[in-house]
Amino acid sequence: MKKIIVACGGAVATSTVAATAIRELCNKNNIPIEILQIRMNEIENNLSGVDLIVTTMRIKKDFGKPYVNGMPFLSGINVEETEEKILSYLR
Amino acid sequence: MDILLACVKYFVDLGPAVMLPIVIFIVALILGQSFGKALKCGLSIGIGFIGIGLVIGLMLSNLAPAAKAMSANFGLSMNVIDIGWPGAAPMTWASSIALVAIPIAILVNIIMLTLRMTRVVNIDIWNIWHFAFTGAIINIATGSYALGVLGVALHAAYAYKIGDWFAPVTEEYFGLEGIAMPHGDSGWFAPISVPVNWLLDRIPIIRDIDINLEHFQKFGALGDPSIMGGVLGVIIGILAGYDLRGILTLGVQMAAVIILMPQVVKHIMAGLMPVSETAKSVLKKRFKNSTFYIGLDCALLLGDPSVVAASLLFIPITIFIAAIVPGNQILPFGDLPTIGFFIALAVGVHKGNLFRTLITGIIVMFMAIWISNQMIGLHTILGENAGQISAGVSQVASLDQGGSPITYILSQIMHNTDMGGLLIIGISYIFCIICTWVWHRNQIAKTTKSSHEIPSSE
Repeated sequence: MKKIIVACGGAVATSTVAATAIRELCNKNNIPIEILQIRMNEIENNLSGVDLIVTTMRIKKDFGKPYVNGMPFLSGINVEETEEKILSYLR
Repeated sequence: MDILLACVKYFVDLGPAVMLPIVIFIVALILGQSFGKALKCGLSIGIGFIGIGLVIGLMLSNLAPAAKAMSANFGLSMNVIDIGWPGAAPMTWASSIALVAIPIAILVNIIMLTLRMTRVVNIDIWNIWHFAFTGAIINIATGSYALGVLGVALHAAYAYKIGDWFAPVTEEYFGLEGIAMPHGDSGWFAPISVPVNWLLDRIPIIRDIDINLEHFQKFGALGDPSIMGGVLGVIIGILAGYDLRGILTLGVQMAAVIILMPQVVKHIMAGLMPVSETAKSVLKKRFKNSTFYIGLDCALLLGDPSVVAASLLFIPITIFIAAIVPGNQILPFGDLPTIGFFIALAVGVHKGNLFRTLITGIIVMFMAIWISNQMIGLHTILGENAGQISAGVSQVASLDQGGSPITYILSQIMHNTDMGGLLIIGISYIFCIICTWVWHRNQIAKTTKSSHEIPSSE
């Protein structure tokens, strides 16, 4: 089971879009995952056991965990590359 | 005919938590989702409504009496709870205006794009709730559905223009190429930062103050919403004169409210996904090339270190401002964890300078708190209509979107109750918009000039 943090500003709108896309992607590829959908300022205190962090905004801070920018899930540009990148960290 | 009307009435009387799932289920089926998925979407939106009702109930039944006791102890009047946008958005989605707000906002966008009045292709469907809020408030104030719809259209048109004006900031400071922020809340205060910037540039010494601190991130743990909620609950409990047991209980309850709010509201977003995805693909198919900006949520800006630092600073500052705004009745709460939405674009205009952001932010929060006080009555009716608060028991307010000047100005124009307020807010805000427009023209002139220079130097 891989644990993924999906974060955005308010943990309501954009992170739901990204989390839904990631859930479908992992289902398709038979990767069991657990998604923690939170606000960006909650990431720091939720890092234990996390395999990947996806945020819909650009963060300049390094949390010491694999990181993918999930903005393509919102804009629809470069979605496939982002999906590949996410899978490469989870496989 | 009577039977039809009776059916419609029965349907509407089911309440938003039942009616909206049925509507979304049917819409999702029409948009080509499978039966199971459509059912899930419908239920999801219902889950969101039931959930937010529980959380708001928890908040109002515990925080409101504490705020009353605190106010009585200190001669303050902060006894109306700010439910924040996580509380205001569901109330808006439950209003009768919201059902038509999405197609109207999209239609306004398409018309403006076709007439070349904007370059923003808005695919941020969730934040249409801001426009819908303006429409719903106007609908309640005037009793006219048509004026409410007009309010949605006007607010949407204005938000797309904001997206155009500040797209260079989004690109240059935040590095988001080809993206604009036609956001109903973050958008409105951005014009205020423009005259502030202009003024500060002309004051000696002050114009040289530049604080670009990233040190605030060290306090990251305190910025964690659960800790913030807990600490606030404890402080309010102490000020309310509760005993130890009461203080600790309020602390844990408020931490729970802050953390549970997005966890329940996100289900509403999940239910809207099929609508949002379809709208996105339709808009993108029609308007795809580099001359357009993609309109996205301002949440994208909240990761910037200066925005993070400013958000932390503004938690105590907002509470302090609330204490000094004349006649303020509102206790800021629900909007505090995401206070960054109020100042994100200003940070970009001020190029990360925290000192200037602080000045703009203080003006913005002062204005937002004053306006949201004027909105308490209408906002409470919105909440009652949504079935999320029981009539006559408590009042609610929100800084986002209840504190927005655009909502206030439009609703006061259409149903004037306070001419003085309308004139002061209206004139000062329109002044800021004019400044922004001039500033935008200058920026465009500058960039076209520099892009002419680059090829000649090569």
